[in-house]
Amino acid sequence: MWSDVMELFRNYMGTGMIVIWYLISLIYLWINEKRMHVRILFLYVPIALLLVYFNPLSVKLVHGVVGSDIYWRILWLLPVSATIAYVCVCVYGQLARGGKKLRADLAALCMVGAIAVSGGFMYSSPRFSRAENLYHMPEAVIHICNVIQVPGREVMAAFPLELTPYVRQYSPTTCMPYGREMVMKSWGHDNALCDAMEREVIDMEELVPLARQAGCHYVIFPTGQEVTASPESYGWIPFQETDGYVIYRDPEVELVIPANLTRRP
Amino acid sequence: MRIVVLQLLILALFLLVVPAIVGSLFAFREKGGQGLIFRWVSGQFLLWAGFQAICVPLILRQQSFRWLVRLFLGYTAAMVLLAGALWMFRRKKARALPPQVPEGQARKARERGPGALLWLVFWGLLLFQLVQAVRLVYEDSDDAYYVAVASIAESSDTMFRVLPYTGGQTMLDARHGLAPFSVWMAFLARVSGMRPVLLAQTVLPVALIAMAYGIYYLFSVQLFPEKGGQQPLFLIFAEILVLFGNYSVYTTEVFLIGRSRQGKASLGSIVFPFVLLISLMLLKKLQEREKIPVGYYLLLAAAAAAGCLCSTMGAMLTCIMVGIVGLLTAVFYRKWKVMLLLAACCTPCILYGLLYLILE
Repeated sequence: MWSDVMELFRNYMGTGMIVIWYLISLIYLWINEKRMHVRILFLYVPIALLLVYFNPLSVKLVHGVVGSDIYWRILWLLPVSATIAYVCVCVYGQLARGGKKLRADLAALCMVGAIAVSGGFMYSSPRFSRAENLYHMPEAVIHICNVIQVPGREVMAAFPLELTPYVRQYSPTTCMPYGREMVMKSWGHDNALCDAMEREVIDMEELVPLARQAGCHYVIFPTGQEVTASPESYGWIPFQETDGYVIYRDPEVELVIPANLTRRP
Repeated sequence: MRIVVLQLLILALFLLVVPAIVGSLFAFREKGGQGLIFRWVSGQFLLWAGFQAICVPLILRQQSFRWLVRLFLGYTAAMVLLAGALWMFRRKKARALPPQVPEGQARKARERGPGALLWLVFWGLLLFQLVQAVRLVYEDSDDAYYVAVASIAESSDTMFRVLPYTGGQTMLDARHGLAPFSVWMAFLARVSGMRPVLLAQTVLPVALIAMAYGIYYLFSVQLFPEKGGQQPLFLIFAEILVLFGNYSVYTTEVFLIGRSRQGKASLGSIVFPFVLLISLMLLKKLQEREKIPVGYYLLLAAAAAAGCLCSTMGAMLTCIMVGIVGLLTAVFYRKWKVMLLLAACCTPCILYGLLYLILE
């Protein structure tokens, strides 16, 4: 458990460079800060928080209850950015005393540079990408959901895994036999239909009974998906092709509301 | 197009105007306590606290979302009326006192000079971040839960009774139901008529990022009360630290910029800084041996309730923070009564924490 807590701390601090600036800021406050209320909030509170975080008792109690997925959030209580920003302004103020403003301005630029080099630029993260639309989701999801939705009722559709996290954000009346839980491999969920859909070459003999068993009115394949037999030969009707996906309608699954689904008011 | 403009105006009313009016209930007399930004942020916290108090019992009793919308609209209207009445009362009282230089004018006077350029840089960087929040997508599959819950509540009129990932009815999800931040998004979607996903992904991040910087601004007012040029400098450094806060994926900065529509992100980047801010204001009062207004404690209690709204973990973390501040207050100022009052501010957290333990 202890190694877990250390690992979480290391992960939270990333490269550790900003933490070094934070520690330097705390030392600066220790030496220079005269206002007691500022000392308490920016110096003593963080020290107490770190003592709580690394305290074997809280590790045992809190970490034991909430687990490592959440324990690291105690570190959110550390006012890292506010403290570093405050100390930077204090240093600037010290340097600017006596009319030496140019020296202070240069120091401020150096501090900005040091922060930039030590941290990671937010928008250079690979997780950021240009939005395709204001819904911040693939156009394909919007078009497919618009095509398959039936006013006043829900529909069941099997989507390729990469689209599942978006579908119900956009259209809560589109139900799926499996969803985002299958994307999270570490959660250990298992779904035979999802496995059948994600095969490199989809075995229609395996997929069709599973899709019908799940009550799928629609099944969506990426365009050019390799299949062992033509979907049409199993009675599936190509409904529409859009944004690199083909929508098949299975007429064997009637468009009636299954008992376990809710009705839209 | 006209509908979108109308929806945006309604959202501006509920996210900016109403909180600013409600926040005047907390218009304290000292510097930084009367400004529009303070009123806006504190008003939003009071509204969040009310939402949490109304929403959770309705969720646990499996009431419809429609009921929640009606009740919360009633609460909002009551708060606005109360704030209006208080404003009238204060205005009457102020007429009897000698006129003071309004804070806005005094600030403008200070800003002429080098401070104005720094403010320009601050606004430029803020605008850049707000535009990026609309222009860029942050890939995070947790949206599949939080945004879907909002979409489902708005569409099915139920709360936490439909499986968010796949659909289909389920038993009440009490763990997430105790922190219904997503339902607050559904409320905004319902009153504005905007699709929940559009609200959550595009509009709300703009409001929440701006609010986070509003709290940084309030910090700057508290830390540098007289030095006009140092306030924008503090804000610029804060912006640089946020912009370069991607040193790991766990930081509050990443959550603020990338995942602000998720309750836990607001917990780390808005609620905790606000708790710190109120603590700073409270400690300053103690330092200057002044009487602490009851409003400080009410705001702290509202922040504690808002923490519970954002995340079930918020209950425990807010208690830790307020507890540490209370203990240090007792140690350094020998004010045991303040420590007890701070502990009382954690009542919402204790209640929701107990509920969580019972329901789990």
